[in-house]
Amino acid sequence: MAELKIKGVTIVETFAEAFPMVGTRIVITAPSLEWALISARTMTGFATSVIACGAEAGIERTLSPDETLDGRPGVAVLLFTMDADKLQRQLRNRVGQCVLTSPGSACFAGLEGEKKLKLGASLRFFGDGWQMSKLVGGRRFWRIPVMDGEFVCEATTGLTKKAVGGGNLLVLGKSHGAVLAASERAVKAIAEVPDVITPFPGGIVRSGSKVGSKYKGQIASTNDAYCPTLKGAVNTELPLDVEAVLEIVIDGLTKESIAKAMRAGIHAVAEGGAEQGVTHITAGNYGGNLGPHHFHLKEIVA
Amino acid sequence: MSALTFELKAKPDQRLDLSPLTPARLKDLKSKDIEALPIGTTRVTLTVGDAFKVKGKDVSELRFAGTDGRCDKIGAGLTEGAIVVEGDAGAYLGAAMKGGKIEVKGNAGVLAGASMTGGSIAISGDAGERAGGILVGETMGMKGGVLAIGGNAGPLIGERMRRGFVIIGGDAGDYAGGRMIAGTILFKRRVGRFAGYGLRRGSLVFVEEPKDLLPTFGDCGVLEFDYLRLLERWLRETGKHINLGARARRLMGDMAVLGKGEMLILA
Repeated sequence: MAELKIKGVTIVETFAEAFPMVGTRIVITAPSLEWALISARTMTGFATSVIACGAEAGIERTLSPDETLDGRPGVAVLLFTMDADKLQRQLRNRVGQCVLTSPGSACFAGLEGEKKLKLGASLRFFGDGWQMSKLVGGRRFWRIPVMDGEFVCEATTGLTKKAVGGGNLLVLGKSHGAVLAASERAVKAIAEVPDVITPFPGGIVRSGSKVGSKYKGQIASTNDAYCPTLKGAVNTELPLDVEAVLEIVIDGLTKESIAKAMRAGIHAVAEGGAEQGVTHITAGNYGGNLGPHHFHLKEIVA
Repeated sequence: MSALTFELKAKPDQRLDLSPLTPARLKDLKSKDIEALPIGTTRVTLTVGDAFKVKGKDVSELRFAGTDGRCDKIGAGLTEGAIVVEGDAGAYLGAAMKGGKIEVKGNAGVLAGASMTGGSIAISGDAGERAGGILVGETMGMKGGVLAIGGNAGPLIGERMRRGFVIIGGDAGDYAGGRMIAGTILFKRRVGRFAGYGLRRGSLVFVEEPKDLLPTFGDCGVLEFDYLRLLERWLRETGKHINLGARARRLMGDMAVLGKGEMLILA
């Protein structure tokens, strides 16, 4: 382990290995910020990992009334999958089941994008012939009659193929409390960075995985090299005094935004210094052969 | 470079067809050639040079000065650039235009913006009948773009309109939005009788409640429309400050035809 330290916390000389994804952004508005958040949280629920959720999604940030098209409070949501067809399906299902259904909601495009994904253009059929299309300032909106009035939904939103998924940081420390507190700080700092989300619960994963398993049909299994309880039994990556490891996974619309988010995260983790119990910051990779994007921690903090 | 300006020398003794005077068609012409373009509509030949004093060079912006209601087809079929009319415009102002911008300081005659598909027309004064309406031989009226009338509009505004946005600052005549297929018309003041006659789809937004409502419209009551918020914001972005609010009484019709259109009367 090379010795780059910030406030006594070792930054391990390694890299995070990340993958290309397709992503989109939508804006959800509602009569109050609270209801916009409820709708957005519902839509981004069960979207931690593409392994079993079909998509990775999260709330990018909240929007004030003067930032939204209809002058109501809003929330920007990012949604990522591995290919455009899956993204289209996930978007339709999630907006259809979680935003269309949410009281007083409206839904707008949040990305120009190289290509377009259908939004209202497929949800309009819910209107059963009573839907109305309106072109306002060159953008098409569908007005779909629902029981509390109208669901206004932009016809399409943009899609980017330059998105990146799986940017990550691993936080190692001498106590669970210290690692959790430092990780929470990092998630908060990353939330300030535009174009990124941290899709896991509260932005944090405790069950980092490795590829494959001893069991047939199990495609991913626990990352034993980082399990503190197995230190004496496996080829561990952990010093003896490390008690817990937590991971922060970052998805972003561009690779630059991931690098910015990782930088913000590293500094937030190290902020407390080694005296608070965090010992190392490292990152997860598969040896560099699987993902084309490599984020070297040393370069990121430089 | 100053705008290419056509100043009317004297009141013409015939109606003029000014459709050849668009930026796209004048782009590669020398001033001599421009002055030789025929614009008469009778057997007596009349050229641009006969009727207008031509000044300036920049063909991307054309200016007409001193024009009157006999100067027809200004900006008809316009595709790009801008036209400013300091005076009145005759019939067919910007008819079938596809893009670009027309601004009229005075009044416009009949069929202003008829069957236009894009671009914008702003008329400070009044517009004659069938503004944004349908040209002879066409199946649809206005199909896109923005038509803004500062003053009053004649009857049958937006007749057979298919898409686009019309706003009328003054009063509108009878049969406003007659036989409309889709699109949006915003009326800031009064309208005549039979507004929405034969409306299939599309929205007629009224700031003031129309005096006579057709019996073939079904009342849906006063409701909140997020669409009005979108409309208000877009209008503000384009420099039109109108307080629409979000609440309106909705009437659907015309039930004598398809009946999927609406009147939104601001509450």
